Amino acid sequence: MTVIRAFVSRSAPLMACLGLLAIWQVAALMLKTDSFPGAWEAIKAIPSILGDQESLINILASIRRMAIGFSVAVLVSIPLGLMMGRSRAVASFFNPLLMITYPVPKAALMPIILLWLGVGDIAKMLVIFLGVSLPVIYHSFQGAKAIEEKMLWSGAAMGLSAAQRMIRIVLPAALPEILTGCRTGLVLALITMVTSEMIARQSGAGNILFNALDMGQYDTVYAMIIIIGAMGIGLDAAFERLRARLVRWSEPGFEIPLSFA
Amino acid sequence: MMLKCSKWMLAAGALAAVLASVAPSKAQQTIRVGWTIPAEESKYWMMRRPAEFPDLGKTYKVEWTQFQGTAPMTQALAAGALDCATQAPLSLANGVVGGNLKAYIVAQHVYEKPGGFSVYWAVMDDSPIKKISDLKGKTVGISVIGGGTYGPFAMLLKKNGVDPAKDIKLVEVGFAVSEDALRQGRVDAVNMNQPFAARAEAKGGTRKLFSLSEEMPNIVHILEACRADFVDKNPDVVKAYVRDITSGMKKALANREETLKVVSEVLKAPIPVLDTYLLKDNDFGRDPGAAPNFPAIQKMLDIYAETGMLPKMDVAQFKHPTIVAPLQ
Repeated sequence: MTVIRAFVSRSAPLMACLGLLAIWQVAALMLKTDSFPGAWEAIKAIPSILGDQESLINILASIRRMAIGFSVAVLVSIPLGLMMGRSRAVASFFNPLLMITYPVPKAALMPIILLWLGVGDIAKMLVIFLGVSLPVIYHSFQGAKAIEEKMLWSGAAMGLSAAQRMIRIVLPAALPEILTGCRTGLVLALITMVTSEMIARQSGAGNILFNALDMGQYDTVYAMIIIIGAMGIGLDAAFERLRARLVRWSEPGFEIPLSFA
Repeated sequence: MMLKCSKWMLAAGALAAVLASVAPSKAQQTIRVGWTIPAEESKYWMMRRPAEFPDLGKTYKVEWTQFQGTAPMTQALAAGALDCATQAPLSLANGVVGGNLKAYIVAQHVYEKPGGFSVYWAVMDDSPIKKISDLKGKTVGISVIGGGTYGPFAMLLKKNGVDPAKDIKLVEVGFAVSEDALRQGRVDAVNMNQPFAARAEAKGGTRKLFSLSEEMPNIVHILEACRADFVDKNPDVVKAYVRDITSGMKKALANREETLKVVSEVLKAPIPVLDTYLLKDNDFGRDPGAAPNFPAIQKMLDIYAETGMLPKMDVAQFKHPTIVAPLQ
């Protein structure tokens, strides 16, 4: 019984993906429309994309921009979120700004950003930065705010300065929440990576996707969606491994059952 | 002492060599060019076969940026983020009116030649819509409401007693999904453009209701425009660029087989698909010297003014006295 349960639990993500592909294939067969090819047709188009050197260069260019935008966003957002969580003045200054910018679709800012920064990489990385920074700031803020005051008092009593308390008490205690924000940010980085290439582009995964869309080559469009989705799954799984390793101490030592059965 | 001195001389020589190598590259001007797909064969040749253009990469460099349609390129030109770009007459004129853009039309990419392909509205073979006036009360698809094709389309409808604002339900349907929208009954009539028109015709079951050329022959679809301040400041560089566009157009028309390969590389579309229409009788027209048809553009501006899309404009403001294709 335990073996079956372990097998089901391990193969669940794969089964979910296969189930989704099966539903897609059936839906495409029923709809019979050129703009919605079956999953099999899309999968068949993947090798030709990944086997083309130019396509790989395009995809790597997108990943490079995403990595830079994500890294800069994390480096800026974590200290800002922590400071907001521990200082009412900082929070009351930045909160309204975040409230205004949070609901704005970042892709909608692209035309304006293009006018400010031109059509190069910086504009696209700024869109990624904006997309990633807000969830990271918010989670860092919540993580820092939730810390028990007693811990900070103890730190102060032991002679730690404000900066030392921030690094040695607030940062580690807020880390599980910060990493949850980073995980959300990673997915948003992938989304904004593609949308930032929608209007103007010199290279990128969006180059392949939107060109195919313009030319009505829907097998390539859906193949690119699968590739981007797979990138998302891969990045998320890698990040989750890192997160689990960094905050193992905060995880419960036993498995919590989902039901009472 | 002698050794020390020669070391310094060597270092100075190396520095001089580096500076000398930097100097020409500094002098080499970069043009920031916007482009889109499809139908810019001369630029595709320049992108994919740069060795065929002796000045490209030597006298001047091009920084290519691909855009989704001509309207964002107008904004980028107006903001100074691009020096030259593909434009439709309407988007360029909108840039002048709304964005204070000053630009010269330096070349032309494609137009509707008599007897060639003209953007048309299609209906299903069994549709009760037989003439334009039958469109009353129907759902009609257009690629962009208020876009370049809207002016002549609206004029044609009006001439046939159909008010495009009140008598039909006008919806935006991109060219790539036009055929699907029509076959699935989401629209009663829809506009068709190449290569999608060729694909739909090959499949059958649809018929042409009317085409834009009925209202206006020689419609200029896309042209090449450069910011006036950039041209005035860098006339020689722009001249070299226009010379290459002229030569690119000649190469595209002279060697269809190679053009199919070039376009396939850029569009990532299979050659058999392109072969159904590209540079054939059912394709748009291309002037062999990429020369802009200013009278046709004026006629389009007049139609846009008549339909209330633009104020009255004179095409002469877009004409540079010397820098215009064909340039040899």
